[in-house]
Amino acid sequence: MALTITCPICGKRNGYEFKFGGEEKGPRPDEKDLTPEAWCDYVHMNKCVAGVQQEWWFHKDGCGSWFPIYRDTTTNLEKPEPGGQK
Amino acid sequence: MKKLQRVSPVVFKSTPLKTESRDNWEVVMEYNGEGDGPYLVDLSHRPRFDLQDSNLAAQKPFGILIPETPGDCVLENGILANRMNRTQVSLFNLDADDTVSMPDEPGYTEVTESTLCVALIGKNVFSICEKLTALDFMDQLRKAPFLFQGPFSHVPCQIVTLNKAGDKSGLILTCSRGYGRDMIDSILHAGEEFGLKPAGESRFAKWIKEL
Repeated sequence: MALTITCPICGKRNGYEFKFGGEEKGPRPDEKDLTPEAWCDYVHMNKCVAGVQQEWWFHKDGCGSWFPIYRDTTTNLEKPEPGGQK
Repeated sequence: MKKLQRVSPVVFKSTPLKTESRDNWEVVMEYNGEGDGPYLVDLSHRPRFDLQDSNLAAQKPFGILIPETPGDCVLENGILANRMNRTQVSLFNLDADDTVSMPDEPGYTEVTESTLCVALIGKNVFSICEKLTALDFMDQLRKAPFLFQGPFSHVPCQIVTLNKAGDKSGLILTCSRGYGRDMIDSILHAGEEFGLKPAGESRFAKWIKEL
């Protein structure tokens, strides 16, 4: 199934124009009292949701923007923001 | 002392009939056997700049009001301004009679030497493009001139559609200089069945004046 992704600059485009940038994990943890284990978890551990997750994509063949989208990992289709307007 | 020579990344096999030396570029004005169109014209010698600023609304490069929406373009006084994103606009100087130099202000980068620039003009240009990209140049919602940032022959390009009307159709394409030979080869190969031929700058100058 062909994946299409909606770039905020260029609009809906073929998924092959983009590079996957990983799950959205929230803000970078505060360095104060940050343990190596907690940092390692933040960098390397993923939730690997079977369903809709928020993730980062890079428009490598287009405008060069980094942006988050919601994608259903079971169908490989872009989804609107849960409870949002996107 | 050796003469400074600027070299275009675009090389055509056709024989030049008329050339002009301009700002250390050897510009071909006319090629042998240009045919009836469509035409592929090398514009790599035309000055091109990128302008970056957090507040582009306050900038007026060469007196031009920058379009607000990314993807929109404006062609004024021979300068084509293409809004790329929130902070960047690319500027192409297309008028050979009025060559501009880079403004002495922060935010500008000259990209003439680092990119190639060609124009694809005349009938069937979008049929040729269809063979090389999935971008929809005939989208009814887009009014020329407009900018696409996307893959053309698998290469990330900036493509500005200047006119969508039949035999007067035309677009300008830029990409990294290093793709020059392969890009030209693929465009000419795709355009073979439509009679695409290399043409000199005179052909483009005449076409853009009629826009």
